[in-house]
Amino acid sequence: MLSLENVIKSYETVRAVDGLSFEARPGEIFGLIGPNGAGKSTTIRMIMNVIAPDSGSIRFDGEPFSEALKDRIGYLPEERGLYRKVKVEDMLLYLAALKGMDREAARASARVWLERFDLADWKGRKIEELSKGMAQKLQFIGSVIHDPDLVLFDEPFSGLDPISQDLLLEAVLELKKRGKTVLFSTHVMEHAEKLCDRILLIRKGRELVSGSLAEVKAGHGQDAIQVEFDGDASFIGGLPFVAAARTYPRWLEVELREGTEADELFRALAGRVHVRRFEVMSPSLHSVFVRLVGDAAQVDGDAQGGVANGGKEASRD
Amino acid sequence: MTKLGTIIRQEFKVAAANKTFIILTIIGPFLILAITVLPGLLSMNPKVSSGGGPVAVSGGDAAVQSALEAAIGTQGRKLVRLGEDDASRTQAKLDVGKGGLDALVVLDGDWMDQGGTIYTKTGTDAILFSLVEQSLGAVAREARIAKSGIDPALARELAREVKLSIVGVGKDASEKKGIEDAFMTTLFTAMGFVMLIYMTTILYGQLIGRSVVQEKVSKTVEVMLSSVSSRELMIGKILGLGLAGLLQYGVWAGMALVLSKLLAPALGIAAPAAVSLGNIAWLVVFFVLAFFLYAAGYAAIGAAAEDESHLGQLAWPLLIFLIIPLVMISSFVMNPNSTLSVLLSLFPMTSPIVMLIRVLVSPPPLWQLALCLGLLVATIYAMMAAAAKIFRVGILMTGKRTTLKEMMRWISAA
Repeated sequence: MLSLENVIKSYETVRAVDGLSFEARPGEIFGLIGPNGAGKSTTIRMIMNVIAPDSGSIRFDGEPFSEALKDRIGYLPEERGLYRKVKVEDMLLYLAALKGMDREAARASARVWLERFDLADWKGRKIEELSKGMAQKLQFIGSVIHDPDLVLFDEPFSGLDPISQDLLLEAVLELKKRGKTVLFSTHVMEHAEKLCDRILLIRKGRELVSGSLAEVKAGHGQDAIQVEFDGDASFIGGLPFVAAARTYPRWLEVELREGTEADELFRALAGRVHVRRFEVMSPSLHSVFVRLVGDAAQVDGDAQGGVANGGKEASRD
Repeated sequence: MTKLGTIIRQEFKVAAANKTFIILTIIGPFLILAITVLPGLLSMNPKVSSGGGPVAVSGGDAAVQSALEAAIGTQGRKLVRLGEDDASRTQAKLDVGKGGLDALVVLDGDWMDQGGTIYTKTGTDAILFSLVEQSLGAVAREARIAKSGIDPALARELAREVKLSIVGVGKDASEKKGIEDAFMTTLFTAMGFVMLIYMTTILYGQLIGRSVVQEKVSKTVEVMLSSVSSRELMIGKILGLGLAGLLQYGVWAGMALVLSKLLAPALGIAAPAAVSLGNIAWLVVFFVLAFFLYAAGYAAIGAAAEDESHLGQLAWPLLIFLIIPLVMISSFVMNPNSTLSVLLSLFPMTSPIVMLIRVLVSPPPLWQLALCLGLLVATIYAMMAAAAKIFRVGILMTGKRTTLKEMMRWISAA
């Protein structure tokens, strides 16, 4: 289990991570989500012991983080990079050796993974010959080749075609099934929604909300109703029980005022347009994100919802 | 294998499979050939450096013309005798301008008092000028002696020069003759050794700087740091490339010994005394020290640099210290114990090169050698510690061009 307790990290003028606490458990996929500049990368770097927190504690299975623990961690950074002139298999063997893996075991593991990701034919080629998608897959293999107990994936799906995405998804779910702790950082809510058991939404280094996906949605979203129809539905916005409506010629999405039942909307529609589909939906993580981050930004008077961190640190977390 | 060992092996492989590495390993022996055999070859046969185009003379009597012919003959040049008319002179000047003649010597009737004129295209052929001047002077002197009525034998006796024999003395007062060429051969050897140290230090320094910058630019550094500490990464790179450098020096030292001990005697050429086993050992020692000193510097600026061009800018302060001894090399050879030589052979940034020159020319006092090595080792230690701090902060920094001032602050902050 990975646990962070009241972790604080400041750069010269900015508090990048401000009192963050969370736990990621074995056999679970934990989503660390937030807008750009929220402090995700700083948090991940502290977990990997690349930079030290100013205060607070970071432990894995009760042990404080150290260089020795790095062998049990796998990391896929958002900005991918491999040695361009090195051959595919050599790169994997090098990465595995740096995780303390012995050469024969590394070779066997590399074979299995390359096979699985359809890269076996490329193992003798230089990395610069690979397509971007292939290099992405190779980098993923590099992060799991040593069978780590804790894996940190930063935007693992970006730049992959749907088939590769599925392969990766399957591999991530398998890690979860085998009891690994998976920390997943993203700002693509659809991915988080599909994968994560629990999430932590952060902004400006602070927690906005955390919990299981269902808890977060229940606590911070409001049901939406989607309708497909034929006819003229322009009157919808004027109905007294409608809080917000997005109306397109053949499709609309409505949020009702509190205390209003969906039936009421259905009745109002029924006589005037031809309803083809009527669905009450739980809010998407996307709308929760937009609402929470947007509200927080309004409180700050900061329309961007992010924070410029002065170029002090890699500016992309 | 430890993680550090893994990094060292990888970096060594990358460096030794590098094109520059192979090329330099091949070119190195030629440089060594130049310092071991060439000086001997040159002193044995001055004609090696001769061979020039014809020189024309207009005016002067037969005596001065044949004196000229003999003088430039030592350079393998031919003398062309021209008429004294303006047309031939104009034509000859044209030939000089076009390159058909190397020079035109014009002697008017009163040349012994007024001097002659030499027309040349480049104005740089100093040896030719002095040969011409000497032969004109000799002819004029004879003529003046004859005119004054002094007995020519007496005049020659009065003007006789004093000969100076140059004898080298060892520590035990042992004498060593035939060192007239010592300045040239020592200069050659020192030049060769210094060029080797200079080139390899810059080469390996830049390899390290580039290797670190590329780690940043290609974004591999985050993955590396998820496995090893920044200190291991830096030291691994330095040692890996350092081993490659040492391998190269091993090859060269072997070649130098083979050439000077086997090939040179076989060709009947004396290899310069300065190319000895002891001096080659010093070369390796000073290379290793210079390497670590500059490797630490380059690793630090590599980590702080944004990209390779930025690395080049940040490297200037380091380069200056390498260039200073290079441009002053002949002054160090002539005056190995001057205050300046001693100071620069103790100052750690220049000492590897300057002290090596002093060792080659005449063994410096033991305390200076010890102080030099002590200062160097201490400076390397401090430089490594500072570099590790800069490396740790700089390696993760992107999107910003770090200044030297900021790097100084990182050293004092951490």
